[in-house]
Amino acid sequence: MNFDGKIIVVTGSSRGIGAAIAKAFASEGATVIVNYVQNASAANGIVTACKEAGGDAIAIQADVTSGEQIQALVDQTLMDFAKIDVVVNNAFKPYTFDPDNRKQFADLDWQDYQGQLDGALFSTYTMCQTVLPALKKRTQGSIINIASDLVARPTIPYHDYTTAKSALIGFSRNLAAELGPLGIRVNCVAPGLVYPTDASRQTKERIKEMIIAQTPMRRIASPEDVTGPVMFLASDWSRFMTGQTLYVDGGLVMK
Amino acid sequence: MELKAGYLPGIKADNVDWQTLTYDRGGQAIDVSVPLLSEEQMKDLSARIKEASQQYLKSLTVSDITATIDAAVARLLDRKDTYRQQSEEYLPLITGYDAEMIRLGLTGYLKNFRQPELRRFIAEDFMNPKILDEFQPLPKGGYGKAYGPDLIAHIWAGNVPGLPLWSLISGLLVKAGNIGKVASAEPLMASWFARLIAEIDPELGKCLAVVWWKGGDVDQEQALLNQADLVVAYGNNDTLQQIRDRTPITTRCLTYSHKVSFGMISRAALDTGKAWEVAHQAAYDIVRYDQQGCYSPHVFFIEQGGAVTPQEFAQFIANELDCFEEKFPRRALTIEEAGDVAAWRQSEEMKSFSEGNAAIMSGASGAWIVAYSEAEEDLVPSGLNRTAKIIAVNQLDDVPARIAPYKAFLQTVGIAGPPEELHRLAGLLGAVGVTRISALEHMTSPEAGWHHDGRFNLLDLVTMTEVERSAETAAEAYSNYVD
Amino acid sequence: MTEAQIVEALLDFIATDGASDDEFNALALQIFAYQFENNAPYQRFCRQRERTPRTAQNWRDIPAVPINGYKDLTLSCCDPKNAERTFMTSGTTKDGVRGKCHHPTLSVYDTSMVTAFRQRFMQEHNKLRMGILFPTEETMPNSSLAHYLALALSEFGTEGSCYLLSENGLDSDLLFAELDRAEKTGEPYALLGASFSFVHVMDEMERLGKIVSLPEGSRILDTGGFKGQSRELELNAFYDLLESRLGVPRKQCINMYGMTELSTEFYDWGNPTCPSVKSGPHWIRSQIVNPLTGEELPKGDKGVLAHCDLAHFNCVSSILTEDAGIEVDNGFLLLGRAEGAEAKGCSMAVDEFLKAAQG
Repeated sequence: MNFDGKIIVVTGSSRGIGAAIAKAFASEGATVIVNYVQNASAANGIVTACKEAGGDAIAIQADVTSGEQIQALVDQTLMDFAKIDVVVNNAFKPYTFDPDNRKQFADLDWQDYQGQLDGALFSTYTMCQTVLPALKKRTQGSIINIASDLVARPTIPYHDYTTAKSALIGFSRNLAAELGPLGIRVNCVAPGLVYPTDASRQTKERIKEMIIAQTPMRRIASPEDVTGPVMFLASDWSRFMTGQTLYVDGGLVMK
Repeated sequence: MELKAGYLPGIKADNVDWQTLTYDRGGQAIDVSVPLLSEEQMKDLSARIKEASQQYLKSLTVSDITATIDAAVARLLDRKDTYRQQSEEYLPLITGYDAEMIRLGLTGYLKNFRQPELRRFIAEDFMNPKILDEFQPLPKGGYGKAYGPDLIAHIWAGNVPGLPLWSLISGLLVKAGNIGKVASAEPLMASWFARLIAEIDPELGKCLAVVWWKGGDVDQEQALLNQADLVVAYGNNDTLQQIRDRTPITTRCLTYSHKVSFGMISRAALDTGKAWEVAHQAAYDIVRYDQQGCYSPHVFFIEQGGAVTPQEFAQFIANELDCFEEKFPRRALTIEEAGDVAAWRQSEEMKSFSEGNAAIMSGASGAWIVAYSEAEEDLVPSGLNRTAKIIAVNQLDDVPARIAPYKAFLQTVGIAGPPEELHRLAGLLGAVGVTRISALEHMTSPEAGWHHDGRFNLLDLVTMTEVERSAETAAEAYSNYVD
Repeated sequence: MTEAQIVEALLDFIATDGASDDEFNALALQIFAYQFENNAPYQRFCRQRERTPRTAQNWRDIPAVPINGYKDLTLSCCDPKNAERTFMTSGTTKDGVRGKCHHPTLSVYDTSMVTAFRQRFMQEHNKLRMGILFPTEETMPNSSLAHYLALALSEFGTEGSCYLLSENGLDSDLLFAELDRAEKTGEPYALLGASFSFVHVMDEMERLGKIVSLPEGSRILDTGGFKGQSRELELNAFYDLLESRLGVPRKQCINMYGMTELSTEFYDWGNPTCPSVKSGPHWIRSQIVNPLTGEELPKGDKGVLAHCDLAHFNCVSSILTEDAGIEVDNGFLLLGRAEGAEAKGCSMAVDEFLKAAQG
C-alpha cells in the first residue's frame, strides 16, 4: 500500500494503538499528524519513529474534547500540508479495564456515561465537524473511528465505555450515509482487547487467558494487529466501503 | 478487417482515390479508408443522385420512405445485426468514447427514428403530411404541394456518433436526394446507414451518397456546393462563413453553428431529499459524449436559499462526476485537448484566488473538473471534456439578463424547478434566444421532431408550389362543362 | 532565507561548473520555501495545488505557475516598488494585460545571462564586434530582451559594436557598412536580434540583390521565432537564407529561447538541422509535461514545456509555458506554441466563444 503524499491525522497517537497506527502509515510513506494531549516527549518519539520508517510526521498537542484545540490542529495541518486525506479518531477518555472492580449498573451515575460519551463521541463529532469542510472541498477523504468489539460481545459489561463506543458506530453509519454522495467514507475498526497498551496493562492474566481460550486465533491482539485494517479502510483498496465496522479480535466476534 | 467509410452509388471502388485515416483513441489503433472523389466524379455523382431523386424518390409516398427508414433503424437497434455490432465495436475506437456510453447512446438516439417518431417529425412541420405527396387544399384557399430539393449537400461536423442521421433522414423524408460529407472525426455511422438503406431498397440507395474530403479542402467543397439545390452545414462560425460565401446565391444555405447550453436549478429542487438526484442528472448531462454536443451544459446556475447550498451542490456534482468516471470513463484526451482543459482550469483558478468561497474540484488526472463561484460571472464556455462551472445566484430570474448578450450562441437550458417557475423562466429565456428547454438528464437527448436551433427540420428544406384560387376559378372558365 | 542569502547562494551556484541532482534539488527547495513564504498569491496557488514546502521533496514537486498567471497575479517576493527593474511580457494575449516580472536586483539575471552566453554563444571568443537588430534598452526599458542584448553588447562587444535599428526601423546603410567592413577586414562579426528583424534584413538584401560572406568565426543569434504556417519548413528556409545571404554557416546560427518569465536562456548548438536541440545551464531544468495533469511525459512524447529556473528567484522559479516540446538526449526540441484542439463536436469552445462574443 502506498501512502506517499497522503496526509493522515491520528488522534491520541503518542502511545498504544494510535502510535502503532501512526508508525504503520509512516512506513508506507504517509505524513502523519501525531496528536497528543500530555506526553510531548512520547509524541516526539513517535514522530522520530515515523521519519525513520520512511514517512514524515509532526506532533500537535490538542485535547480532542476541545473544539478550539481541534480547530487549531486542523488549521495547522492545513497550513503545513495544504490538505488532509485521512482522519483516524482513536483518542478516548482514559478508562480502567478492571473486570474485578468494575462498576455495576446500579453504581453508575449518568456522569460516568456522560464522560465516556464525551471522550468517544463528542471528540469524534468535534473532529468531524472541524475537518469536514476541508474534505468536502476535495470531495474525497476517509474517516476511521476506533470502536471496540465489546459493542458486539460485552465479555465484561463496561457499561459506560461500551455504550459510548456503540454510539460511535451508530454515529459513523449516519455520517457515512450523508457523506457518501460527497465521496467521503466513514468506517469503524473495532479491536478486541489489545495488549500491551497503557489501558490494558492492568488486565489480569486470568482475563487474558479467558479471552484467548474463546478466541479462534488463540491469542489477543497486539497494537500492530489493528494497523492493517485501519490502513485498508484508509486506502483506495476499500474505496467502495463505507459505514462498515471491521472487528479485529481474532474471530472472537463474528458478524 | 479493413474499414471503409463513404457510400458512392454507381462508382466503382477501384476508380476512387482512397485515403487512410488512423484513429488511436481507444487504446487500439484502427485505420479507416475514406474516399476522395475527383471534381469530375463529384459532378457525375451529383447528377446521378439528382436524377434518381427525380425519377424514383419523388414517386414514393412519405409512408413508403418512413417504412424503409424504419426498417434500417430497426436493424441498427438490433444487437444481433452486423451493422449494430460493428457500430458497437468500432465507434468507441474511432471516437474514444466509452463503449457502454455509445451503446446506450445509440439506442436512445435511434429510437427517435422509428416509424411513429418519424411521423412526429413530419407532423411537427406539416399540419397535413399528405402535402408532401400530392396537392392539398390550403386554408387560405387554393392548393399546395411541398417539394423537396433534388439534391441537398450536407456538410457534417463532429464526433458524436449518429448526429448526421438527423439531417440525412430529414432530407429523405422530404424526398430529396442527399450527398453528405462526413467529418474525419467520425466517418462511419452515416456511411453504414446509407448502405443499410441501399440493402433494404436498392433504388432508394441510389438517391443518397456519403463522401469525404479533408476539412478545408476548398476545391472538393466547391464541386459539391455548385451542384446542390440546398446546403445544410454544421461547424464553427469561420467554417460556416466560408461555406456560405462559396454557395451560389440561388442556392439556400442552412447553417448550424456551435452553441452553448447550460442548466438552471431552483432552490425548490435543493432540499436534502432531492438535491442528490438533481446533481446526478446534471452530471449525466455533462458526462454524455464528454460535452461535445451543442446541447451539452457548460455552466449551471444554482439558486441560493435551498436547504442544500450551491456550494454543497457543486460538491455533489463533483462526486457524481467521479462516480460516472467509473461507469463511463472519459475518453483519453489528445495533448491539445488536455491543453484546453488545463487553460480553462488555470483561468478558473486565477479567478478563484480573489473570491472567498470559490473552489476548484478535480478528479484524478483531471478526468473531470468543477469550478464553483459566487461571483457575478458572465456566461463563458467550459473547457469541455467534463468540465463545468457552477455559479451561485440569488434568484434564477436574474440569469436571463446575464446571458442576453450571448443570444446568438444559446441553445438548450436544462431546468430543475417547479411548474410555475419553469414556465416563467421559459418566457424569459425564449426572449433572450434560448431555443430549447429540457429536463436535466435529457439535455443531450432531444425528443423526436426537436426544432434544432429553433428551426424547422423539414419545412426549411422544402419549397411550396401553390395553385392559387384565381387559377382554379379561371380554369373553370375553360372547362368542357362550363355553362 | 533572506533575499540577500538567496542571491548569494545563487551567485555561488551559477559560478560552479555544474550541479548534481541533489545540489539542484536542495537550492530549488530553499528557493521554493522562500517564494512560498514571501509571495502570497503564489502561496495561494500552491495551496490550491495542495503543495507546501513541507511536502515538496524534489524540484519536480514545485507547483509550476502557468505563464498566464503573471497577468492575473502579482508574483513577486519583494515589494514591486523596490524593484531595480521590472520586465513586462508582450501584451499580445488576454485583454492586452501585460504580466510583470520584478527584479529586486539584476545581479542574478546578469550573472546568469553572462555565464551562459559566454559558454553557448561566444565559445572560443572573448569579444566580438557586434551588431544588434533590436531597439536599445533606453527605448524599451521594460523589455528583458532589450536588456539581454544590451548586456551582450556591453560585456562581449568590441569597441565599434552598435545598434542597427533606429527609430525609423532598420538602418540599412549602417548595417551594410558593418557587413562590408567585416568582409574587408576579416574580423569575425556577430549579428544578434529578434528573428523577425533578420527577416527584414533578408528582405532588404534581396531587394538590393546583396550577398555578403562574413569571415570565419562570425555568428548569428536570433530569438523569438516568427509566425509561420509550418514552423519546421519556415525555420529551414530561414537558416538557409541566413547562410546564403550572410555567409554564416547554419552551424554558427544560434537560436536563443528565452522569455520574460525566466532569468535564464536556452540555446542550441547551431541549426544545421531544425528543430534544433535546446538546452540550458545547470541552474535551470526543464520537463515535458501533460498540461492538464502536470505529469512528466515519457521521453519522445510531445507535451508542454515546464521550466524550473533558480535564477528567477524573486517571482516564481517554476513555470508552465505554452510552448510545445519533446524531450531528447541532451535537451529538448522546441515545437512552437502549443495549439488548442480543433473543436470536434458542435459544442462551443472558449476561444471561439470569446472571438465571436467580441464580434
